[in-house]
Amino acid sequence: MKKGQMEILGLAIVVVLILVAAVFLAGIMISKKPSEQRKGFTRSVAASNTVSALLRASAEDCKYLTMTELLQDCAQGRSISCDDAQNSDSCKFAESTAEFVFGKTLEQWGFEYHFLAYVDKNHPLISIGTPCKGELETYIQPIPLKLSSMYVKMDICA
Amino acid sequence: MANKSQLQIGETIAVLFVFFILVVIGFIFYANIIKSDLQLKQDDQSQARSVQIAQRTMHLPELECSHYTNIVYDCVDILKLNSAKDVMMDNELYYYDMFEFSEINLTEVYPDTGSKWTIYSRKLPEFSKRFLTNVPVSLYDPRTGRNSIAVLSIDTTTK
Repeated sequence: MKKGQMEILGLAIVVVLILVAAVFLAGIMISKKPSEQRKGFTRSVAASNTVSALLRASAEDCKYLTMTELLQDCAQGRSISCDDAQNSDSCKFAESTAEFVFGKTLEQWGFEYHFLAYVDKNHPLISIGTPCKGELETYIQPIPLKLSSMYVKMDICA
Repeated sequence: MANKSQLQIGETIAVLFVFFILVVIGFIFYANIIKSDLQLKQDDQSQARSVQIAQRTMHLPELECSHYTNIVYDCVDILKLNSAKDVMMDNELYYYDMFEFSEINLTEVYPDTGSKWTIYSRKLPEFSKRFLTNVPVSLYDPRTGRNSIAVLSIDTTTK
């Protein structure tokens, strides 16, 4: 091999090494994404606080009963009739109130969610939203009944 | 002879020129990486600070409901709220250490009365980042013993 050819080969090796280093650094740069800690916190707070605030809320058009009391009645005979325009039973009233609240909060903030109130998970009493397909933040609150328990579950999709 | 030496000097200059160009390109590339890395870290810190401020607001004793000596979490006492607003305005420096450049509002959503309270307001007129954290809470009225649903909006700005 001539001296000139050796020099060209050396230069080519240097150029290849620089390119490899540049590609490697660019790869590292692209893989670094901003942290998702705030989004995770927001989702988790939204899931837990929405449920706890909803369950404590007093229903203005239903004898100022709490949503917990309405859900308990919904799971145990539906004896309560509310004072709203439709004279809704406890299940209907709880469902429409939850829909109203989620519309004013989660939907406005762009969250996809799935809310369930159930004794038997396969036959929910109330189901609002669509089930999450990927990652989700979930919150389950048990509510005592006379003979068993019912559950209120909120999934916030990532 | 003189011509050969001149040629060699020219060759050396050319090689050095290419070398320095490569060094400059590498330096620019490295500087860009460092810059974006710093931006990411700054972003993370701003996010962490906004989460911290949101958590402080959620657990502020000036607003939190209590039942005898027990704290009721995720709940704002409407009577405390009205007093807290004035206390916060009178002690702005103390609360600046807690909430920095942010605005904290509470809006009632159910029943939909449209009531809104501004608890703290010290936003930057010009900012590079803004984080809005919405936290649903119960709004408790001790006079009637009833709860409504409200949203605590914590709007944090950074330079």
